[in-house]
Amino acid sequence: MKWPEKQSSATLSPPAEACAKGRPSKGASAWRLGLRKLRGRGSLIAGISVVGVFGLVFFLADWLAPYDYRSQSRPESMAPPTPIRFRDAQGQLHAWPFIYARRLVDRSTHRYEEITDRAYPLELFARGYSYEFLWFFPTNLHLFGVRGDAGAEAPRVYLLGADKFGRDRFSRLLMATYYSLLVGPIGALLAGALGVLIGVVAGYKGGWTDTVLMRAADVMLALPALVLILAVRATFPPGLQPAGAIKLLLVLFVLLGWAEISRLARGLTMELRQRDHVMAAVSLGCSPAQIILRHILLNAALPLTTQAVLILPTFLLAETALSYLGVGLQEPEASWGSLLTAVDNSVFKRGHAFAELSPALAITLFVFGVRLIGDGLEKERRELEVERSTRVERSDQQ
Amino acid sequence: MIKLIFSRLLQGVFVLLIISFLIFALMARAGGDAVSALDTLRSSEETRKSLRGLDGLDRPLMERYWNWVAEAARGDLGRSLTLHIPVWNILRLPLLRTGLLAAVALLIAWLISLTLGIAAARRAGSWVDRLCSVIVLLAASTPRLVMALLALAFIASTPLFNVFGPTSDSATEVWSLRVIPPAIVLSIPLVALFLAQTRAVIRDALDEEFVRAARAKGAPEWIVLLRHALRPALNPLITVFGFSLGEVMSGSVIVETVMGWRGLGQLGVEAVGTRDIPLLLGVALAASAAVMAGNLLADVLQRLNNPRLR
Repeated sequence: MKWPEKQSSATLSPPAEACAKGRPSKGASAWRLGLRKLRGRGSLIAGISVVGVFGLVFFLADWLAPYDYRSQSRPESMAPPTPIRFRDAQGQLHAWPFIYARRLVDRSTHRYEEITDRAYPLELFARGYSYEFLWFFPTNLHLFGVRGDAGAEAPRVYLLGADKFGRDRFSRLLMATYYSLLVGPIGALLAGALGVLIGVVAGYKGGWTDTVLMRAADVMLALPALVLILAVRATFPPGLQPAGAIKLLLVLFVLLGWAEISRLARGLTMELRQRDHVMAAVSLGCSPAQIILRHILLNAALPLTTQAVLILPTFLLAETALSYLGVGLQEPEASWGSLLTAVDNSVFKRGHAFAELSPALAITLFVFGVRLIGDGLEKERRELEVERSTRVERSDQQ
Repeated sequence: MIKLIFSRLLQGVFVLLIISFLIFALMARAGGDAVSALDTLRSSEETRKSLRGLDGLDRPLMERYWNWVAEAARGDLGRSLTLHIPVWNILRLPLLRTGLLAAVALLIAWLISLTLGIAAARRAGSWVDRLCSVIVLLAASTPRLVMALLALAFIASTPLFNVFGPTSDSATEVWSLRVIPPAIVLSIPLVALFLAQTRAVIRDALDEEFVRAARAKGAPEWIVLLRHALRPALNPLITVFGFSLGEVMSGSVIVETVMGWRGLGQLGVEAVGTRDIPLLLGVALAASAAVMAGNLLADVLQRLNNPRLR
């Protein structure tokens, strides 16, 4: 496809116009056109990449994890990360990485020593515990593991060390990612849906419906949500199954989290109601449901999505906080918050702070990625608005 | 103004009634109370029955709720089921401590946001402006939980621990330098919120005609900034302040628990562990009331600042 030699610049949006002026047509391929679309969207792309990696972990958690996140190896309590070696004790280089088995030297400081008698090579696509790949295909293949032979059981490889029960921190981190990403985004989605519903009804109906609903939203926004969640949580039995705990968290999130998005939805609805196309639809006798769905929600989709993305971290962090406080997901299940309960104030003294703080890093990275997406979408929305207003001005001039 | 305060107070009481009733109803539905949390003690059925009778837990829900409301109206929030002293006596000090923590955190956040925000708004695209963007993104992305854990570990590995470490269990003091580290941690996400707002509204205000007029008549820069730019920008900032209070209270739960500041949040977390519902109810109501009072204050300030709203 060739870029047309003479494009009337009036049909281009201002950024594209500048773009077309700055770069005379240079045989634009589809690839180049694609790149042009990406320009100025750095934060959106970076954010989607970060969140995408977490998404992969969400779907592949079991496959990536070398061990069951609940399986304990008590003798290896608080073992530091296993060194992965290419050079053996005799100084010989190997092409394939291997590890040594370890032995506890000092119980109080959790010091371990490698037994260099024999090397255990790492293995790709190793057999491990059984699970359902993508919740459907039963298998026991995992991305990596340690090869042992008949008779000698292979030592466990701990990429991030072991926790105090000798459970693999890396596997637990993967499962925590799964659970945390299950609760936070679903909570944001459900709360967002309820908020949009309430906001659209308030904005469309107006009158006292509007007053009551928005007063309620104001009150909800002002309440200390976490304290109320704690109070409600205490009325339920202390030990909840993961499914029950997740359901409870979701219900609480929806009940307490709808207010922010509902105010935006109401504002947008009130504004869109005045637009010509909605007036036209009303005069043509469309039903309110049709008008709301096709003419209002469709037009409000981008700002509402942006807002939903921006409030997602709130839900994720609430889940993390509750699990940290011991009232969200509970042991032996793992969530980013419950993993952090193991962090105490001597974390820097033990020498593998990175491994212990890895859940903290995961939370921060994920929230950072989501915020980048939110900022990117916000920018997109502003550009669209500018484009729309210039188009309206042009049509006014004609 | 009087009408506003009165209607807000009425609304506040209404909200507190709803919250307390919901928690009461949930408690009855789930059948969970402090006595059933004693299960581990292998108490006999009769012991539990008499314990329930002692605390009035065997009466019907509405009756218990009505009794509670009648007493709460007289300032008596009932007794803690585990400590057996009036809830209000347990709440008083933690409420003050949380108030102090929140006040210091808000003060820090506003100081930073106003200074940096005004500096950034004056010169769009300068290094201060770009620094602010970075600060907003970083401060908003780092969770309080993570920051609190890091701050605690950092303090513990320095000699500052004696000055800034957690308060001891028996500490009855409220005013203490130990408030500073948790207040800083609590304030950082607020800086993200306030700084972005300050920069935006001050920038808008600086574009106004009256600012140009003030500059043209030769007013000193600081007068222009404070009297002409900041004054009209204050109202949206006060709105943000009001909306941030709920978050401050939620955030203080985490910060207090991690960093050992014995405020309302930590008390609430402990009460969840022992399923001490009257105490927890007191904590929830005190926290909600405090936040609503802050919101009322924000509304009053807004009307004082902007005569058009009065």
